[in-house]
Amino acid sequence: MELQQLVGVIELPRLVLFLPELIVLITAFVLFTLELALSKELKKIILPSLSAIGYVLALMSIGVSAQFKGDTFYGSFTSDALGSLVKIFALIIALTVLAFAGRYFSSKRSFYGEFYYMLAFTLLGAMILASSYNLIIIYVSLELVSIGFYILTALLRGSFISKEGAFKYLILGGLSIALASYGAVFMYIYAGSIDLRDIFTYQGKDYHYLVLGIVFFLIGFALKIGAVPFHFWLPDAYQGAPTPVTAFMASVGKLAFFIPVVRIMPLVQEKFSLTWTLTVGVIAAATMLYGNFVALVQKDIKRLLAYSSIAHSGYILAAVAVTKDIGMKAVIYFLVVYAVMAAGSFFIVAMLERAEGWENRVQEFSGLRFNLPYLAFGFMVYMFALLGVPPTVGFVGKTLVFMALSFDQLWWLAFIVIVSTAISTGYYVRLVVLMYMKEKEKDVVVPQRSYAEALSLVLLTVLTIALAVVPEVIWSLVAPASETLFTR
Amino acid sequence: MMEVIKGTFPFVSVSMLVPAVSALLVILLKERYAKAISIVGAGLTFLISLVVLYLFDYSKSSAVQFYEDYSLLKEFNVRLALGLDGLSLIMYFLTTLVSLVAILWSVRDRQINTRLKEYYVAFLLSESFLVGVFTSFDILVFYVFYELTLIPMLFAIGIWGYKLRLYSAYKFFIYIFVSSLFLLLGIAAVSVQHYFQKGHFSFSYFDLLGLSHSEGIGIFLFLLFFIAFAVKTPLVPFHTWLPDAHGEAPTAGSVVLAAILLKMGTYALLRFNVGLFPDATIKLMPFMVAIGIITIIYASWMTIVQNNVKRFVAYSSVSHMGFIVTALFLLNHEGLRASVIEMFAHGMTSASLFMMAGFIYNRLHTFNMESLRGSVKFMPVFAIIVAVTAFAAMGLPGGSSFWGKFLTILSAREYSYTLAFAVLVGGFFSAAYVLYMLKTLFLDVKEESILIHFTDIRGFKLVSFLFLMVPIVLIGFFPHLFFNMFDGSLSYILRHILGLE
Repeated sequence: MELQQLVGVIELPRLVLFLPELIVLITAFVLFTLELALSKELKKIILPSLSAIGYVLALMSIGVSAQFKGDTFYGSFTSDALGSLVKIFALIIALTVLAFAGRYFSSKRSFYGEFYYMLAFTLLGAMILASSYNLIIIYVSLELVSIGFYILTALLRGSFISKEGAFKYLILGGLSIALASYGAVFMYIYAGSIDLRDIFTYQGKDYHYLVLGIVFFLIGFALKIGAVPFHFWLPDAYQGAPTPVTAFMASVGKLAFFIPVVRIMPLVQEKFSLTWTLTVGVIAAATMLYGNFVALVQKDIKRLLAYSSIAHSGYILAAVAVTKDIGMKAVIYFLVVYAVMAAGSFFIVAMLERAEGWENRVQEFSGLRFNLPYLAFGFMVYMFALLGVPPTVGFVGKTLVFMALSFDQLWWLAFIVIVSTAISTGYYVRLVVLMYMKEKEKDVVVPQRSYAEALSLVLLTVLTIALAVVPEVIWSLVAPASETLFTR
Repeated sequence: MMEVIKGTFPFVSVSMLVPAVSALLVILLKERYAKAISIVGAGLTFLISLVVLYLFDYSKSSAVQFYEDYSLLKEFNVRLALGLDGLSLIMYFLTTLVSLVAILWSVRDRQINTRLKEYYVAFLLSESFLVGVFTSFDILVFYVFYELTLIPMLFAIGIWGYKLRLYSAYKFFIYIFVSSLFLLLGIAAVSVQHYFQKGHFSFSYFDLLGLSHSEGIGIFLFLLFFIAFAVKTPLVPFHTWLPDAHGEAPTAGSVVLAAILLKMGTYALLRFNVGLFPDATIKLMPFMVAIGIITIIYASWMTIVQNNVKRFVAYSSVSHMGFIVTALFLLNHEGLRASVIEMFAHGMTSASLFMMAGFIYNRLHTFNMESLRGSVKFMPVFAIIVAVTAFAAMGLPGGSSFWGKFLTILSAREYSYTLAFAVLVGGFFSAAYVLYMLKTLFLDVKEESILIHFTDIRGFKLVSFLFLMVPIVLIGFFPHLFFNMFDGSLSYILRHILGLE
C-alpha cells in the first residue's frame, strides 16, 4: 500500500537538536502577540525582558542540543559543532543588542514594539542558516534573515537615510537571493539533490552545471557579506539603520551569511580547488583593498566602520580561499571574533549617538578620553583589535589567516593582506590619536547610562582580549567545528 | 637542542608582573602617589634582575635558565615560554636598568606636567613588555610583546612629546606596525614549515631550531623577518622614522626608545634570523655587512649636519646600530661579541646622551645646536658626565663602546683588510661627530650672562646619570664581566646553529 509506505518513512523530528531554534521561535511569536495586545507603557518593559528570557533559555538549551549531533527533519536541519558555536555567539550578541536598543530608540523619541519580534525572527533565521545543508532551507532562512534586516533598517521612519539604506538593501538583497537560488537550481540540475553534501560528492558528467551553480551561489552570498564588487548597499544600509541594528547586522548578520560558504569549503573537490582559490582569492583581494582605501577618507564614523566591515569580509574571504583544515579554522575563528569586535564598536557609537549634538563625525572623537574615559578606552581596544594589534582577537585572527595562506603558499594574497592592513593603520590609529592625544572640542555627555549597557560593553571588551590571551577556551569550540566537517 | 634548566622561583614572570602590578596601582591610587609607586616598582624589578644576575649559572650560559612554561594553545604549541640564556640575560638587565633610569629621570622632568598617571603607566607597561620580548622562547609570544611595546611608546610620543608629536607618533607606529606584519607572515610561515616537516604546528623556538629549510624558502623567510627587524633597528634606508620619533619624544621616551627598543631589532636578528635560518644567513652575509657599513657611514654624515641636538643623537644611534649589525653578520666569535657588547654599551651611552639633551633643554629651552654653545661651562659635574659619555660613545679605550668598535675591526680583519678599513672609516666618522658635539658644548663661547645662572645637576637626575656611568666605566675596564654573560650563547650559535668554527 502506498499510504503505508508513506507512513513508514515518516520519522519523528528529533526536536532536541532543534531546541534553541524552537525556543527562539516561540519567543518570537509570543512577542508578536503581546506587541499587538499590550499597552505602550507595558510593552516598554515586557518586550525586552521577555526577549532576554527567551534568548537566555535558548543559550542554555544549546548546552543540551550540542550533546547530540546529527540530522533531523529528513536531513534538512543539521546540528553540529559549527552550528552550536555560531548560535552561542549569535545569542550572546542578540542579548547585548537588547541592552542598547531601548535607550537608543527613546533618545530618538520613539518606541518600536516591532523591533523586538523582528529581532527574534532575524535571529531565528540566522540560527537556522548556520545549521543547514539543504538548499531549500538555506533559501528560506536567508530570506528570513534578509527580510528582518530590511525592516529593521527602515525602522526609523522619519529619517531619510534610514529609508534610503533600507531601499538599497532591499533591491540588492533581493538580487542576491535571486542569484543564490538560481545557483541552487543549477546545482540541483547537476546532482538531482538539494543537499549540498550530496551535490559535492556526486560524480556527475555535467560538470559545467556545478561550476555555474557555485558561481551564482557564491555571487549571491558575496552580495550578502558585502564583498567587492557587490558591496554598494552595505555602507548605506549600515549608516541608515538604527545603530544597535547596525551592530547586529555587522556581527550576527555577517556570521550567518558566511556559514553556508564555510560549509562548502571542505566539499570542494581536488580538481576544483584551484578555481575556487583563484576566484575567492581575487574577490578577497579586491574587497580588502577597496574597503580599507575607502574607509580612509570617511568622515562619518558609521560609514568608516561599515567600510572596515567590508575590509574584514576580505580578510575572512582570504582564508576561505584555502580549502584546508587550517583555512577553515581561521575563517571560523575570525568570523566569531569579528562579530564581537564589530558589535562592541557599533554599540559604543550607539551610546555616543544619544549625546546632545552628536553627529557621528569622526572629528567629534577628539579628546573623547577627557569626556568619557571608559568609553574611549573601550573604543581604543576595539580599534586596536580591528587593526590586529596583539593581544586582541584581531591579531590572532590575522595570524591564523597568515598561517592558512602560507599553508597553500598564496604569498601574493598574503602580501595584499599586509598592504591593506597597512592602509587600515591610517584610520584606526587616527581614531586612537584623536581620542587620546587631541584636545577636546566640546563636552559630550551620554545621558541615562544603564547597567545593562555597561555590563554588555564590559563583556564584549573582555571577550575581545580574553579570546586571544586564553585561546584554548574558544579553540575547544572552533577546532571540533572544523574537524568534524573535514573528516566527514 | 638547547639545554633548558627550570628555575625554582619564577623570576622572569615576576619581573614582568612587578611593573604591571605597579602600573595597575598607579591607575587605581591617587595621582600624587604615581611617582613613588613607579620608582618602587621599577626599583624592585631592577633588584630582582640583580638577584638573577647573581644566581645565573655562568658556566652554562648557553642553556636557557630560570625557564618557565605555560601552555596557551596546545594544537599550535603556543606556550608562554620564558627563560634567560646569556644573550637574553644581558638584554634583560639592560631593560630593567634603563627603565629604572627613565622613571627616575621623569620624576624631575618639567616637560611632564600633565596626565602623570598615564605617563607612568606607559613606562611601567613598556618595561613589562620589554622583559617579555627578551625572555620569550616562543616566537608568537615574542611577537606579541614586540608589538605591545609599540602602544606605550605611541602614547609617550603623542601625548608628552614636543611640537610635531602627532606626526611623529603616527610615523613611528605605522612604520613599525607595517614592517612587523611581514614578521607575522614569516612567523606563520615558519610554523607551517614545521607542520610540513614534523606533522604539527609549533611556535616554540626550540622546535623551530630543528628545522631545515630549502634554499629558496629559507631566504624568503629570512627576508620576511629581516624587513621587520631592519626597520626596528633601524638600517638605512629604513631609518627615517627614527629621527622624528626621537626628536619629538619626551626625554624618557627617547631614552627607552634608543636604549632598549632599538636593541629589540638587533637582538631578534641574532636570535631569530641567524638562529632559525643559518643557511640563508651565511648566504646573505655579504649583503648584510654591506648594509651595516652603509648605515654606519651614511648615518655618521647625517649626524654631523643636524641642527637639532636630539636629532643629532638620534642619527648617532643609527650609526651605532650600523656597527652592531655589521659586527653581527661578520659571523665569527669576535664579531658576535662586539655586536652584543655594543648593544649594551650603546644602551648606556645613547640613554645618557638623550638625558643630556633633555637636561640642557630644561635650562635653555632649545634643542638648537647653535644656542648650546658653551652651555656646560658653569656646571662642572654635568660637564664631567657629558665628557665621559661622549668619549665612551666615541670608542675611546676605557669607554664602553671601545670594545664594540675594536672587536668589530678585529673580526673584519679576519676576512680582509679592506673590510676592516671600511669599518675603521665608519669609526672615524663617528669620532668626528662626537668631537664636533664636544667642541660645541665645551669650547665655543657664548655670552656668559645666561649661563652663570645655571645650577648644576643634582638629585634624581644625578642619580639617574650615575646609574648609567657605572656600567659605562665598568665595560671599559672590565669587559670580561660582561663577556662572561653571553660568551656561551654566542659559541652555541656559532658552533651548533651555524656550524662554523
